Amino acid sequence: MPIPTDFRQRITEYLEAVTGSPVEIISLQTMAGGASRDTWLIHMRAQGQEERLVLRRDLPTSMLDRTLDREQEFALMTAAHAAGVRVPQPRWFCSEPHILGEPFLIYGYVEGVSLGAQVVSRPELAEARRRLPEQMGEQLARIHRMDAASFDFLPGPRPGYSPAQEAVLQVRAMLIRLGVQNPTLAFGVRWVERHLPAGGEAVLLHGDFRVGNFIVSESGLNGIVDWEFSRLGDPCEELAWPCLRDWRYGNGSLRLGGIGQREPFIQAYERASGRTIDRKIVDFWEILGNLRWAVTALSQANRHLAQGETSVELASLGRRSAEMQLEMLRLIAEQGV
Amino acid sequence: MYDRPTLNELLDAVRVHLEENIIPLLKDDRKLYYQTLVAVNMLRIAGRELTMNALHMQAEWDRLNFLQGSSGTIPADDDEARQALAERNHRLCEDIAAGAYDQHPRKAALFEHLLATAVEQLQVANPHFIQVLALEDNERDRRR
Repeated sequence: MPIPTDFRQRITEYLEAVTGSPVEIISLQTMAGGASRDTWLIHMRAQGQEERLVLRRDLPTSMLDRTLDREQEFALMTAAHAAGVRVPQPRWFCSEPHILGEPFLIYGYVEGVSLGAQVVSRPELAEARRRLPEQMGEQLARIHRMDAASFDFLPGPRPGYSPAQEAVLQVRAMLIRLGVQNPTLAFGVRWVERHLPAGGEAVLLHGDFRVGNFIVSESGLNGIVDWEFSRLGDPCEELAWPCLRDWRYGNGSLRLGGIGQREPFIQAYERASGRTIDRKIVDFWEILGNLRWAVTALSQANRHLAQGETSVELASLGRRSAEMQLEMLRLIAEQGV
Repeated sequence: MYDRPTLNELLDAVRVHLEENIIPLLKDDRKLYYQTLVAVNMLRIAGRELTMNALHMQAEWDRLNFLQGSSGTIPADDDEARQALAERNHRLCEDIAAGAYDQHPRKAALFEHLLATAVEQLQVANPHFIQVLALEDNERDRRR
């Protein structure tokens, strides 16, 4: 994608302002990102020192109805970094619209790959994949220990509702908003409502903790990114989410993100968190996770269909929903319908 | 009667053009490259839907008849058939939500219907997905 010279100039000026020294941009390139943001890799030199930085900018629309803005994401990453979670070091946040049009944040570049298809397949990452389940469990325990009370912007279950009840309410609301009459999704909602786990504490969740949002190098998990879906929820929800088939990137028999089995991950989490995890509740959340992702896929397609955001990628998600629907049915069958 | 190319042949012509002439030019623009691969895949989906749609609508109709104890025939007109199926599915969703399929044997019958419907959807949207699941199931059964 051609980079407007103006864009480079504006970033240079911004970096000079925040570092207080002359900055030379050696290279500026786009990185793989989602449909809701763009991500740039900046290689710069200031005061004789070379540095690599990542810039993430909001695009005018967002992937889901409830996402955090860049400033909130920046605050979370900063707190996570301080809590010893492996996150790239957050550097600056800018909300001034006249710099790049939209708010953006800048953090330190972390070496490694994050694309799921590469994480599950690259030969040089074999050892990393062996380590990942335990690293993921240990890191997730650290995230769930973060002080949720210091972030008043995090969405969470409404008063009187458990995280699972809240999730079902949201799925139902999305189906109504979309006007979808799909018996498989109706059955999924019904099944989930009839199998709700009792209670469930609400802790700070990363919100999208899975292969694809991890920067992985040969030594394993180097950085956890994409904090924009962070919210309050059930710890078991986030133990189930990285197990969803869609996050296995074609490596379906390895339940944990196409890289390993679930059990070492949960055991590492239990050791690090001190919690005892009921596997049955994790199973429940994997079913609910597939239901939620199936409905979200339809919602994404609807942005193309009805909300004026012409995008072949968004449109294609509508027909991907059936993958999550079938997976949900298969998981329900394992529970005995 | 239209002259050839047929609808399927038109879709194929566009797809092959994109694959052979356009995609190789996009290697340096990751986003556009990926988006165009997605577009090519959509043309494949459209082609499979053209081939299988009538068969799948009939099969879904027959299963709904069995499930809902009905014996009506599917409208001959394509749009009317689609509309009638949508209405039946709407009613089925309401019945599911009201608990009409909570108990056996209706629950099991519904489940079989939903499974068949999801598989049919994927025969159009992503046949590879079903093949991979079948291989995985075989492998797991073999190890047991």
